[in-house]
Amino acid sequence: MDKRDLVDRFVFAQFVEACRCLEEGIASANDIDLAMRAGAGLKQGPLTWADSAGMDTVLARLKSLSAMHGERFTPPRSLEQMVADDRLGIKTGRGFFEYSAE
Amino acid sequence: MYIFKTAVVGAGAMGAEIAQVISSNGLPVVLKDIDQQLVDRGMRSIERLYRERVSRGKMTAQELRDKMDLVMPTTSYNDFADVDFAIEAVPENMAVKKAVFAELDNFCPRQAVLASNTSCLSISEMAAATMRPGRVVGFHFFNPASVMKLVEIIPGRETSEETVATSLEFAQSLRKIPVQVKECPGFLVNRVLMAGLMELLRFNEESRASAEEIDGVLREAVGLPMGPFLLADMLGLDVVHDVARTLETAYGDRFRAPATLRKLVENHHLGVKSGEGFYKYTR
Repeated sequence: MDKRDLVDRFVFAQFVEACRCLEEGIASANDIDLAMRAGAGLKQGPLTWADSAGMDTVLARLKSLSAMHGERFTPPRSLEQMVADDRLGIKTGRGFFEYSAE
Repeated sequence: MYIFKTAVVGAGAMGAEIAQVISSNGLPVVLKDIDQQLVDRGMRSIERLYRERVSRGKMTAQELRDKMDLVMPTTSYNDFADVDFAIEAVPENMAVKKAVFAELDNFCPRQAVLASNTSCLSISEMAAATMRPGRVVGFHFFNPASVMKLVEIIPGRETSEETVATSLEFAQSLRKIPVQVKECPGFLVNRVLMAGLMELLRFNEESRASAEEIDGVLREAVGLPMGPFLLADMLGLDVVHDVARTLETAYGDRFRAPATLRKLVENHHLGVKSGEGFYKYTR
């Protein structure tokens, strides 16, 4: 069993769906992460997870997952935009959420 | 709007859990089902939840009786005349839900909020079965409701802001965490959760890795409190399959349930409730 493939497919499938929900205005970024913790028992919300992993890293991995497994892993447009805008997450101070420098 | 009295329609597993949550927070709750046997079973489920707490030293036997006294079992909507907030937790079938909403609309006071605990059906469509669509809202607990903190609050197309505000406050008064979600198939959490679960089912089919192995890897790597296959068994594989179908219709192939799930359901391996699903259970 390829453990990395397993974990990534699970985590990224949920992350992409969370991005779609955000794009469609189903809930705010904050509420999406709060709901996934309080309703699904996740330790960390999917958007917070992407902010700490780094949006450029997430985007690159999604591209290889979509090449391997098909369009359900196609990177959401909002994600491409965030990388273009240098909103890479914690390391640039801004991703789905804002981080102060201290 | 202040909530003095509540009602839960449907005394199954979810309805009983919801009535327990409400009564444990000190509010009276009418528990209704279609016959006495179902209501009695619901009452026993609630008492079992309280008894567990007594045995863990979290409450006294007297407190258990006080809480149980807040739950009023009934088979008649006549007991709904002074209810401020009613929640239906009947089977996930639109025709059944609409019939319940029409009854609630008839028997509850004009200002009462009528809520649905549905996990995937349209709130707007249920609201249309009433004369008060502005006072109909989705109020979605997570399984088991006595433990999970989240309640999704889902306004339908015509739900008023006042109803949303009342629902958010009521959920907080039950010491839950309400999150407002725009109406869409699957709402928020189940939509994201099912995207992950369907991917795992595909991995399971492709790799031949067992449900147990996959659950183990994910518990360790992602820190999940419970493996997704075990969670699916607890939710009921028929329920999971139905939700997947609804989501597939709405969003496409990424929610298509692999054949393994369909076969399990066809063979009545529905998870914990039938004694076998992805795992086997001894009674």
